[in-house]
Amino acid sequence: METHPVAEPIGGKPHASPNYMLIWLFLFILTVAEVLVAFVSHLPKTALILILLVLAVWKALLVALYYMHLKFEPKKLWIVAAAPLPLVLILVGTVLMESW
Amino acid sequence: MSSHAAAAHLAEPRRMPGIGVYNMKLGMWVFLLSEVMFFASLIGAYIILRFANPEAFGLPGEVLNVPLTGVNTFILICSSVTMVKAFAAIENGDRNGLKWYLLATALLGAVFVGIQVVEYNVLAHEGFVPIASEYAAHGRDETGPLVGGPLYGATFYTMTGFHGLHVTIGVLCLLFLTVRAFMGKYTQANHGGVEIVGLYWHFVDLVWIILFTIVYLI
Amino acid sequence: MSTIVLPQDAQGHAAPHHDDRSFVRKYIFSTDHKIIGIQFLFMSLFFLLVGGILAMAMRWQLAWPSDPNVPLPGGGMLPETMVTNGIMLPEFYNSLVTMHGTIMVFFAIMPLLVGVWANYLIPLQIGAEDMAFPRLNMASFWTAVPAGLIMMSSFFVVGGAANAGWTGYAPLSVNEVYSGVKLGQQLWALSLITLGFSSLMGSVNYITTIVNMRAPGMTYMRMPLSTWALFITSILILLAIPVLTGALILMFFDQTLGTTFYQPQDGGQPLLWQHLFWFFGHPEVYILILPAMGFVSDILSNGARKPIFGYTAMVLAIAGIAFLGWVVWGHHMFMSGMNPMLGSTFMVTTMLIAVPSAIKTFNWLGTLYRANIRFHVPMLHALAFVSMFVIGGLSGIFLANTPVDIPLHDTYFVVAHIHYVLFGGSLFAIFGAITYWFPKMFGRMMNKPLGYVHFALTFVFFNLTFFPMHMLGSGGHMRRLYDPTQYPNLAEMQDTNVFITISALLLFGTQFIFLVNFFWSLFKGEKAPSNPWEANSLEWAAPSPPPHGNWDGVLPTVHRGPYEYASPETEADYLPQTVALRAPARTHEPIGD
Repeated sequence: METHPVAEPIGGKPHASPNYMLIWLFLFILTVAEVLVAFVSHLPKTALILILLVLAVWKALLVALYYMHLKFEPKKLWIVAAAPLPLVLILVGTVLMESW
Repeated sequence: MSSHAAAAHLAEPRRMPGIGVYNMKLGMWVFLLSEVMFFASLIGAYIILRFANPEAFGLPGEVLNVPLTGVNTFILICSSVTMVKAFAAIENGDRNGLKWYLLATALLGAVFVGIQVVEYNVLAHEGFVPIASEYAAHGRDETGPLVGGPLYGATFYTMTGFHGLHVTIGVLCLLFLTVRAFMGKYTQANHGGVEIVGLYWHFVDLVWIILFTIVYLI
Repeated sequence: MSTIVLPQDAQGHAAPHHDDRSFVRKYIFSTDHKIIGIQFLFMSLFFLLVGGILAMAMRWQLAWPSDPNVPLPGGGMLPETMVTNGIMLPEFYNSLVTMHGTIMVFFAIMPLLVGVWANYLIPLQIGAEDMAFPRLNMASFWTAVPAGLIMMSSFFVVGGAANAGWTGYAPLSVNEVYSGVKLGQQLWALSLITLGFSSLMGSVNYITTIVNMRAPGMTYMRMPLSTWALFITSILILLAIPVLTGALILMFFDQTLGTTFYQPQDGGQPLLWQHLFWFFGHPEVYILILPAMGFVSDILSNGARKPIFGYTAMVLAIAGIAFLGWVVWGHHMFMSGMNPMLGSTFMVTTMLIAVPSAIKTFNWLGTLYRANIRFHVPMLHALAFVSMFVIGGLSGIFLANTPVDIPLHDTYFVVAHIHYVLFGGSLFAIFGAITYWFPKMFGRMMNKPLGYVHFALTFVFFNLTFFPMHMLGSGGHMRRLYDPTQYPNLAEMQDTNVFITISALLLFGTQFIFLVNFFWSLFKGEKAPSNPWEANSLEWAAPSPPPHGNWDGVLPTVHRGPYEYASPETEADYLPQTVALRAPARTHEPIGD
């Protein structure tokens, strides 16, 4: 016996739809930027990795916040969604220390 | 409403308010967290192995086809747009928009998988395989030394393969939704399935955004 | 309409107005959380028995290593590749060790704590009619069954069952050149991958149900500690199991495709397996103890007729253990050759995790302090939990210290530790929980005299079996050792091994008292009222057993927490959560969480 949704999001704020096409444009630009940075720039390796990761995370956040509607969901859901992230950092970070 | 009307006397208003998101949506979000950990273990393994032994792997673009995959990335992002447009359509009662945007999403997803299959074929043909005895990837310079080793192949195919599997499952779900949409099963008041498959689809796109960067660009 | 009443059927329950589902839909492919919980109960009791038999065979070998005068009972039935002339082969011993651990951890204890009780208790304790996703729940059980079958089938294949330990360290587990076993190890990996899906489906259900389906008045801080523990355990399962799944997939590829993720050639890293496995493995052991702690809190409070001491601290301690549990995994790897800096870090975090566990222990003692205790059978098991868990926890502190771990790692000291927490802790809690909730599940009480005898003998034989292992381990006796007598320093301690084996056999035999009690009581047990223990939580407000849908169409309303024993507001020494007093003495009804 599952509850099912009604037209207005239960608990979420009624909101104007974000401009999905604008987000799409951002994602396109960021993707191009990533490829350019990876192949055209002559930055040192560490800076390169950092910039690429920042760009990737930026894109991921855009998808999560706008396409997955997280921005308009109750704040508790943000905490739920963020839960795995520290664990991922702990796992990868700690084991990378093996090769430091 | 739907067949759940019989349980209406046990419906939410009498319970504690909960997190403010209906069950199926919360369930999908919770499930996606487990998927984050799953991909983290695979991608994490790759990062760890590569950091420990960089010469067992290749540099960006040496073996893998970045331009093709860049286009493929764009295709997947476009499919996310069509997905969100599908959802926005049915939220506004536009059942026609739902139908065509869902179909577009499914098709774009299928194209993504198709291009990946082609990519795999080309790479395997060039000797980029996960088995040590058959590894023969020379990169751009056909006559040069081997680029990386079978572990490069193994990690590559494992990560992108499981992602591709998730995309395929997503495409199947989308086709299911599309058929139901064409049958008129979704209304402005009742379209939970669209939202939760949408969440899954965006997540698959999100994982690819990370994967593309880590595997192809770094 | 048709009311189906099956008085002889152990699992039958008086169905309400319109329950005309077929037998198959009601008891085989059921979506009712209670039936699914009971299904898990039968499945896991079977595996508990299998795990016990494997342990007995192991103990036989350890007491009389390769002694033709003391042949393995039943050895004649086994093929020559396992046992010859009553003496087991070393490879078979390694399989026994591996499969005992694997089956006990994954197919006995984990489902007995989570599969059974999360399913059975959560909707009842929070006042819901069923889980959020009943069909997913059914899928969860029916995925666990094939996983179990795959694991059992590995005994019968060429090469025999997996023999690389329940921890499956690479490269032993991924290369048959080292272990002699290929198919068995592959099946081991596939079985656990499948079981992972089952657990994952369950955890999504439990979390969604607890968050979104609590009855009116059931705030988070009015949930029983059983529910809290199961809630937090579900979060651990949700986030830890996928890492195991990923690790097992890489292992399977190494075993099947010849990749080298965990093998030293071509850039692989054997230690990668250990890190991934234990990153899952440590939260896993908290998955194996936290629900038990929850049940013990509920049972202790009930037996003591006093509120649980420090409810909020108990909740925070469960959360603290779960939280810290993510950053201690390296303490399983002190001797692995990992980066020494990690060794120090993990030592500190592991010592820290003793704090919330200690808080819980002191709070249990606080609950008992100056209490008028009812020593019913579940209470005895709960008291055993507290005392045995303390012993297990103390041996854990020794092991947490990196330098102390150096001589103790991979010895019987560790075996003593894990069995004090898993048997002395989890299994006693399970016996207590089964006895406590049996009346609710089956509408009958378990037999009391048998319950007391089973408890007393189990407690004695358990300690006689496992306490001497601390000495063995401190004396250098290694784990997973086929024949201790080949080493002179260990041969000196062989009498202890014999003593342990005899105690273990008696311990194993005693469990048949429990099994007899369980099955006899299903059919002949005294009929149970809805609240035989005079307890407060919501499940006791439903009939024994509850009907399909639990509350007959009307969700209960909750007015207070679940530990209002000896409340000044009422004459009786308990005050159920659903009882509305004429003049509500404390706070008003909450509007939000």
